[in-house]
Amino acid sequence: MKITVKYFSWIRVKLNKHEDLFEVNDKLNFQDFKSYLIQKDNFYLEVFNDDSIKFFINFKEIENEEIKLHDGDELGILPPVTGG
Amino acid sequence: MIRIVDSDFHIDDLYSSIKSNKNGAISIFVGTVRDDLFNENQIIDSIFLECYEDLAIKQLEEIRDLAIKRWKLNDCVIIHRVGKILLGDKIVLIITSSSHREEALRSNEFVIDQLKIKAAFWKFKEFGKDSKIIEAKKEDRKKSLKWKDIVK
Repeated sequence: MKITVKYFSWIRVKLNKHEDLFEVNDKLNFQDFKSYLIQKDNFYLEVFNDDSIKFFINFKEIENEEIKLHDGDELGILPPVTGG
Repeated sequence: MIRIVDSDFHIDDLYSSIKSNKNGAISIFVGTVRDDLFNENQIIDSIFLECYEDLAIKQLEEIRDLAIKRWKLNDCVIIHRVGKILLGDKIVLIITSSSHREEALRSNEFVIDQLKIKAAFWKFKEFGKDSKIIEAKKEDRKKSLKWKDIVK
């Protein structure tokens, strides 16, 4: 299945891209996907260890890391917001 | 009305859009680009606003709906710019309308306080071609907490 990951603020600047498309095995949950990303690039460890960052699947904040992912899902990685 | 726009907007047009004989009060808040420092001796010449648009629209709708319900507003308009915004230019507009002034004023403050800490926008300060991230402020989080027991 394919998962799109969207980057914002300092994460987008650091990675120098707005998004990535990952092709992963079916039946992964968010926790599995985190491990997959960390294995691909240690940078994600910094992201997942930062308590100020929020994660959204299809525009809904993740409250349970065991949430199942589905083909076409979009993961948004959001540092603290500063609009207004 | 909720809009995320990449160019300047006209307050008069948006004010006209919510005019109604039911209104006894209309409160308007406009956030603008202030002359913050970029470096020790340099004032910024613009900011850049980044947005996760689909999520931000959803979040702004949730904030608007809470305000309308809590203060029984006649209307609530939120307009937020994205992209490059020059020093002094408008960033955000909030208009709340109600039968009486207290509801219009309080709800307007609620909307901007919530937007500041909940909506998916990020600011960068700019000087020439250089850009720096503007960090989230602790005071904004504190301000938003005061609404915890007022809006449920």
